[in-house]
Amino acid sequence: MIRVIQRYDFSAAHVLARPEWTSERNRNVYGKCANPAGHGHNYRVEVAVEGDLDPKTGRVLPEGMIDALVESRVLRPLDGKFLNRDVPEFVQVVPTAENIARHIWDTLAREVTPARLASVRLVETRNNSVEYAGDEELV
Amino acid sequence: MDFSASYRDATGATSGHNYELEVTVSGHVDPETGMVIDLKDLKELMEREIEARFDHRSLSDDTPYFRDRPPTPETFAALIFSLLDAALPKGSLYRIRLSPTAHLSVEVTR
Repeated sequence: MIRVIQRYDFSAAHVLARPEWTSERNRNVYGKCANPAGHGHNYRVEVAVEGDLDPKTGRVLPEGMIDALVESRVLRPLDGKFLNRDVPEFVQVVPTAENIARHIWDTLAREVTPARLASVRLVETRNNSVEYAGDEELV
Repeated sequence: MDFSASYRDATGATSGHNYELEVTVSGHVDPETGMVIDLKDLKELMEREIEARFDHRSLSDDTPYFRDRPPTPETFAALIFSLLDAALPKGSLYRIRLSPTAHLSVEVTR
């Protein structure tokens, strides 16, 4: 089994708060991450795909395919953005590391054929990261 | 382990990397030594099987395996897995992870 893992970086701001909750409740659940002014992170994304080697090219996917996909579908929409305001997905969904990782998975999962998306790992700070490998029950 | 090697890509251009190789073996802990494998033995085996073959060499010119297949990170990782798998106690190699750059890794498992 061969798995190719590629890493990318982007920076974005977010607030962890549900719009329909009171600020007190948001503060209780999300702590300082609920500050309405927002705060930012340097995110690292690790995209892992699994598949068979194309005997002619010796690659799992054509050269540059994941780079182009991640650039157009992930980095350009998210880099330098205030996620809660600038990214439609996160106007209603709280942009936690978990939800960002799942959003990236959903964005890429059907695009990496003939390989299979194996996991998306989102590193938010050096002390916390989230890894998502899909959830059949939610599909 | 780290080593450096060059290769020619599909366009004929020569490039090279400082490769980082991580090897994971699995197995039972020997009740006497408290170890799954003696790391000194593993290190010597990796030096013999990998470093001696590839360090400061050209994959394209010095490795017969790449005469009839392109030297990509995937094919190189697959070759390293098979070399180590043949040299280690049967079934003990769990995974190798080859990182040609900080932005790319290839993992091979059985």
